[in-house]
Amino acid sequence: MNQFTQFRCCWLALPFVAASVVTFAQAKPGVGMTTAISGALADVHLVAPVADGQWTMPAGDYGNTRYSPLDQINSGNAGNLHVVGKVSTGIFHGYEGSPLVVGSTLYIVTPFPNDLIAIDLTKPGFPVKWRFHPNPEIDAMGKACCDVVNRGASFADGKIIYNTLDAHTLAVDANTGKQVWKTQVGDLQNGETLTMAPVVVNNIVFVGNSGGDFGVRGALTALDARTGKILWKAYSTGPDSDVRIGPDFKPFYAKDQGKNLGVSTWTPDQWQRGGGTVWGWISYDPELNLIYYGTGNAGVWNSDSRPGDNKWSVTIWARNPETGMAKWAYQIEPHDSYNYDEVMENILVDMPWQGRMRKLLIHPGRTGFVFVMDRETGELLSASEFEPVTWAAGYNLKNGEPIRNPDMVPHYGQYTEHICPSATGAKEIVPSAFSPKTGYLYIPAHNTCMDFEDTTANYIAGTPYVGANVRMYPGPGGYQGEFIAWDVAHARKVWSIKEPYFPVYSGVLATGGDLAFYGTMDGYFRAVDDRTGKVLWQFKTPSGIVGNPMTFTGPNGKQYVAIYSGIGGWMGSVDFPDVSSSDPYAARGAVGAMRDIKSATHPGDFLYVFSE
Amino acid sequence: MSSANKHIAVLLFLIAGATYVIGCHSSANPPPVAAGGQPIGVYAPNSSVNGTLYHLSPVDDDPVSVQDGRRLFVWYNCSGCHGTHGGGAIGPSLRDPVWRYGSSDAQIFNSIAQGRPQGMPTWGAKIPEIQIWELVAYIKSLGTSREPDPPLEPADEAVNNPLQYSSTAPGTPIARSRRQ
Repeated sequence: MNQFTQFRCCWLALPFVAASVVTFAQAKPGVGMTTAISGALADVHLVAPVADGQWTMPAGDYGNTRYSPLDQINSGNAGNLHVVGKVSTGIFHGYEGSPLVVGSTLYIVTPFPNDLIAIDLTKPGFPVKWRFHPNPEIDAMGKACCDVVNRGASFADGKIIYNTLDAHTLAVDANTGKQVWKTQVGDLQNGETLTMAPVVVNNIVFVGNSGGDFGVRGALTALDARTGKILWKAYSTGPDSDVRIGPDFKPFYAKDQGKNLGVSTWTPDQWQRGGGTVWGWISYDPELNLIYYGTGNAGVWNSDSRPGDNKWSVTIWARNPETGMAKWAYQIEPHDSYNYDEVMENILVDMPWQGRMRKLLIHPGRTGFVFVMDRETGELLSASEFEPVTWAAGYNLKNGEPIRNPDMVPHYGQYTEHICPSATGAKEIVPSAFSPKTGYLYIPAHNTCMDFEDTTANYIAGTPYVGANVRMYPGPGGYQGEFIAWDVAHARKVWSIKEPYFPVYSGVLATGGDLAFYGTMDGYFRAVDDRTGKVLWQFKTPSGIVGNPMTFTGPNGKQYVAIYSGIGGWMGSVDFPDVSSSDPYAARGAVGAMRDIKSATHPGDFLYVFSE
Repeated sequence: MSSANKHIAVLLFLIAGATYVIGCHSSANPPPVAAGGQPIGVYAPNSSVNGTLYHLSPVDDDPVSVQDGRRLFVWYNCSGCHGTHGGGAIGPSLRDPVWRYGSSDAQIFNSIAQGRPQGMPTWGAKIPEIQIWELVAYIKSLGTSREPDPPLEPADEAVNNPLQYSSTAPGTPIARSRRQ
């Protein structure tokens, strides 16, 4: 095709040779095997290929490591990073995802109205090639709990595939910018929206819904990437047939075993409004042929009104991608009392664990624990606190149950105080990264606590279904955000950068250049030495950063790093004029912790591109 | 203006309003209809006649109605979008002096009854007119001394994070009222 393709071939040659050597030793060769990465710690393997110069899916790789081996920008020259491109979209809402790069084109999906913008990387100044307007229904803006965000797209079969807020999935020709297909996936009038970034495996598109605060019934939908036809739908609540549980379902713990738990662990019919929405990240292990994802909070927030475990809210799933049938499930917080959506990233790494090689699933959770699981069986290997937690003392690894603090259970009509973390979690949806060179997980963390009161909630279709008064405030220790390097093998914090005023609400990128990148809510974008935590470079962007950094190789052979600057999302929405700073309960209680953001930064609509 | 003229003016205004409502009936978009089947009124933004402002609200700022409005604000999930105490979330803040569709009683009534394009549902067909006026009365009370159940600050905000900076002077601890 051009210079870029040639360049990529050269670049890719080395890691790919290494990959094939490793994978040939095993049963079936090829893309998708776990593979050794150049410079990685002994026996630490990732799902191949990692982001190798392009960025074709939300995390860059199926294993969700957000690790790129590119090392042209490295700890030796990060100080030279400077702006080489800037794009403004004209849409001022939260930019939570990251762009894609396919060949010599960069693709931006904006927040509502979800325009798709193609940027030409071959020309100076990165001009716009085309802009696609899907024109979603405007009343979708009133069904989105936490700003009208969109977390990005996937590239497959020559198409850019992404979701619009009004519950449609669509595919756009990556070259021409023309729509190829569009499929309705949810029911907007009942409060169902789409904000997540689809992932495509073997031409099957996985789309999860949003609306956990509207009494929506969570579901993962699979579509044919070629036609948009719906293949199957796996609900998060209801009878086993709806949840796609069959004879192959083998949950590790007794608490997750039994028939039709998606019905019997609820008061009658409450499962139909029971949440467990699927608005986060999806991982894929090609060797085990399983996809992994988490489900959100139980609906309604008022947990007094729904006795029972409320399955399968707040659950990690392993499913077959072709059939959608479940392999295992692990409910992290039975009877969710705190809005702890566990839709966070599930990072897939093969590495030694307590003396033997294990296929790990690493899940830094909203609940405040880093969960390390065996992704073949669903066994919980470790759950370690990474920010102050008061709701539970830890996890019982024998039965998989949290060890709850009974004083921290909210009830109707009274405030339970000092619950940590807050409903926004010890981390939000923004994803961590893992470097195979350090063995560290890089976690964007929050230290926010809350007072929580259950209240009466009426279900009125298409309106919020919450039933709780919440007010948040910074947790103990004099900081509210923390960028953490977490040693996975030893389950401990190695170093961290404390952010005094605001949570860390950006995703993370780790690179072969010994760097970790992250952004702050007041707009700083930083390159950090991934072993020491030393800040090697930073740049102040105009708005707060709630997006995910990514890296790519341009048509000219240079490595670039890109980040959105546009504050928003749940906690970031406090910056918007629509939210009053005089009411700590506003923005679902986030104002109490976030009101100072209004003086620190303002809404933005930028993509910044840097090189050294 | 003489008293007689004033009465004639009011009468003319009411006739005009009634004509407007009836006119709407024949259009493609009929006005909202309350649960009982009676059409909900559509109100002119400024109900003034020759410079005199007339309150259309039958309840105005009557304290009992304001308290009822508070209850209805939660009951009908207004709080779900606009916040427990109207500070905003999915829908805009009702506490700040910014009004997309106008701040008069009639304009707020119409926003509730008719709905607004960015997601505000149409309530006129679902709840009685008098309750909409009570909601208007509650919304108008927000941030005033008449507000029932005003928002209280989280108990320990100032204690837990002495480093939290204030909007006026970064680095200065904020003294905040403790909830008792």
